Amino acid sequence: MSQQRISLRDPVKAAFLAWLVPGLGHYYQGRKGKALLYAICILGLYLVGFALGEGKIVYWRWVNPLNNPEKFAPHYIGQFFVGLAALPALIQGTIRHFSPDSNFLWGFMAEPPQNVLNGMILRLNKILEIGVIYTTVAGLLNILAIYDAYEGPAYIDLDEAEAEAESEAEAARAASNGAKVEGAV
Amino acid sequence: MGSFSNVYWLVLPLVVAISLVYSASRHEAWPRIWSRSLRLCLWILAILIGTRAILLLINTQV
Repeated sequence: MSQQRISLRDPVKAAFLAWLVPGLGHYYQGRKGKALLYAICILGLYLVGFALGEGKIVYWRWVNPLNNPEKFAPHYIGQFFVGLAALPALIQGTIRHFSPDSNFLWGFMAEPPQNVLNGMILRLNKILEIGVIYTTVAGLLNILAIYDAYEGPAYIDLDEAEAEAESEAEAARAASNGAKVEGAV
Repeated sequence: MGSFSNVYWLVLPLVVAISLVYSASRHEAWPRIWSRSLRLCLWILAILIGTRAILLLINTQV
């Protein structure tokens, strides 16, 4: 549909770039306005959320959610889709899984100790939750942006205008047919 | 974080970002992106405010 009218270049590469840095895939496709919009909205939301959580809300633990649901960090599944900005958490989680005493990148985006997390919950309360929501929603929104880079938009102006004109013509045809039938009766 | 006396204001940037990104992923023409995102933003806010009002009413009357 829209792919015929908008040049998506290499859609797979564009989708990968869109995951890596929100907006980069669209920039690669020459859709610079959209690239800017996605970068501002998604990265802005992610960074504000990250700051609200004092940089300690994006982390990942390799645990089985069925065996240890309290230790599982489901919000990272959403945050992961922000791309490069959330990737250190996955690297840290993997390194810590194999080497718990590691101090890779000085613990940046590593899982905070439980006493630190408990202190933050008491101190920040709802702000901490909002930080988690911001960063998770940013990742989920980037899924839409990745899909847009891969497949193009659902509608473009021309498609919608054509669809509207077609439905209007169909309605007019139906109305005239109805009038003819009534006339015949 | 005493500066955030009312955390409800933090819903606003979230709703604006969701509306803009959703509309941009559906449309390509800028006038349509702006108009659809404004419409979606107002719908989400109206639903949120309506739900909040109903819950407040129930909470204060019951």
